[in-house]
Amino acid sequence: MASDTLTLATRAQIEAIAPTEPRWLLDRRIAALEESASLQLPMSKQTKIGEAAFVQADAPKLPQVTFEGAPQGVILMDLDQAVREHADLLQPYLLQVAERQNLLHAQHAALTKGGFFCYVPKDQELTEPVRATFHFPKDGYYTPHVLLVAGERSRCDLIVELVGVDGGAPAINGGVEVVVSDGAQVQYIEFQRLPGKAQGHWSRRAAVGRDGKLTWILNDVGARLQVADTRTELRGDGSDSRVFATFFGGRRQHFDFRHIAVHVGQHTTSDTEARGVLQGKARAVYNANTIIRPHATGTSGWQHEHTLMLSETARADLVPELEIDEWDVKAGHAASAGPVDPMQLYFMMARGISEIEARRLIVFGFLSSLLDSIPLESVREQIAQIFHEKVEA
Amino acid sequence: MARPVLDIRGFRVGIEGREIVKGLDLTVRGGEVHAIMGPNGTGKSTFASALMGHPAYEVLSGTVTLDGRDVLEMAVDERARAGLFLAMQYPAEISGVSNANFLRTALNARREENDPVPVLKFHKELKEKMAGLSIDPTFAERYVNEGFSGGEKKRNEILQMAVLQPRIAILDEIDSGLDIDAVKVVAQGVNDMLSENFGVLIITHYQRILNYIHPTNVHVMMQGRIVRSSGPELAEQLEARGYDWLRQELGIEEPLPQEA
Repeated sequence: MASDTLTLATRAQIEAIAPTEPRWLLDRRIAALEESASLQLPMSKQTKIGEAAFVQADAPKLPQVTFEGAPQGVILMDLDQAVREHADLLQPYLLQVAERQNLLHAQHAALTKGGFFCYVPKDQELTEPVRATFHFPKDGYYTPHVLLVAGERSRCDLIVELVGVDGGAPAINGGVEVVVSDGAQVQYIEFQRLPGKAQGHWSRRAAVGRDGKLTWILNDVGARLQVADTRTELRGDGSDSRVFATFFGGRRQHFDFRHIAVHVGQHTTSDTEARGVLQGKARAVYNANTIIRPHATGTSGWQHEHTLMLSETARADLVPELEIDEWDVKAGHAASAGPVDPMQLYFMMARGISEIEARRLIVFGFLSSLLDSIPLESVREQIAQIFHEKVEA
Repeated sequence: MARPVLDIRGFRVGIEGREIVKGLDLTVRGGEVHAIMGPNGTGKSTFASALMGHPAYEVLSGTVTLDGRDVLEMAVDERARAGLFLAMQYPAEISGVSNANFLRTALNARREENDPVPVLKFHKELKEKMAGLSIDPTFAERYVNEGFSGGEKKRNEILQMAVLQPRIAILDEIDSGLDIDAVKVVAQGVNDMLSENFGVLIITHYQRILNYIHPTNVHVMMQGRIVRSSGPELAEQLEARGYDWLRQELGIEEPLPQEA
């Protein structure tokens, strides 16, 4: 789609969103707006991103966010409140964590509205997960933002849920920024359970400091169209990133996911593991890219993507990529997409298990090695339960 | 519950347009052990698979009833829940699903949704049954048949039978590839279940297993039909003399060397 038919963000829109915002934030929005002139929509051969509802920059509405479990010392609050009360903590990072690569990133930054800020002070180790849930109303355009800053040597698990209302059709262009300071350990867990007509673009960017560790645990089962990219920059030496991505699409759902690990520091490690299940006429496009920058010696980057097809009409495109500019590295990928083995179904049914229950067991088995790697039992169980419910006869 | 009866009449089965089982009559009742013997490629395994409802096979005609209920009308899982069990020659592997989880799901499929088998009771009984079959306790948590040796797969089939307590079990070459000790263990597992409420149909190539599971009836299958039925002495005759004398006696031409 040619950009002249897109409704781009305007300065008037920005000023309408944020009449009372501090100058530094307004300047960042304007900078993003200016960048958008030279940026394109994300490229995808298989996804008509230009026709998605979230591309058109309407006046954004405010989604509700509810919080749970922030202990003493941790800041967990609406983003606009945090901008007023904790500007010193946000200002170094907000809309700054990683370079914007496409028009949707820029549009999100220019028009962002709502969302939350989570801050874990240095050396504080959280023993229980912190939770935040986005509730998207029936319709409208939303541009929420999440900023998680984990101080040096802190530990934190954040569980974010994206939910809507039955029959809802929100259009979302959201963004997540995660800052893992030196020596910090963060698990960012997300459950995307948007209603069946929702369309979302969700961009996650993270910077990991020296010896920091970031684990993304991502579960996508909702939305008619969900486009998401996750970019982790391993900037500090010895930093580590893991991705455990699961998705389950049915009917005519369309997913387009991209996971990017950028190795900048030396002795950095990344491992991306994705397991997807598709049924009906669902379609998934899954890209993984491991980028190893010059001088990032002693690094290793791995990708494993597997998709199980429960119907003949589902389709998966898996595109693993490696971009390596350094010799002293270890990197590789494995990808597969395949149907359920009819002999497995027959065998289980011959033991009295119904076909749908047999499919559920096969799906559970398909996920199990990934689930076994997730250290949080409640998250494992939630993913297993979501998949169990999603299997259709 | 009344004694089980599996009744097979005029059963004809084909695959890809080729008729393999060409009209077969057989009745198996609780307390009986029937052995179907015969050379390779005579349709024994096709017969067993078609009884269970294997999707590759097409039933061309005939009737099969279990306790008076029409088996051929039932889906594979309904046949199993009605009390039919097939120990398979080549059971599937199910990655990521433990034996215990699989068996518990299969047991719960036979119960009301709101009345699942109590977990602790299940594990206790599973442990006992595994011990009875000389199966290592780690078996319960291994993924179904994944990485199992041939012998382990066969024992696992018998373990499933012991846990699921079918009314009629069909053992399709349960003895093939087993050493003599394993044959004894498998036979013990079957013998422990024998009662008026349980009937067995053993499909085998060799007489050996019949030294440990004593058949009440022995049938010989050739070219898609049962050509002779008798008592246990028939198995001994076949062991001693092979099949050729029977072919000659019946005027059967050499079969095509083809595995069904």
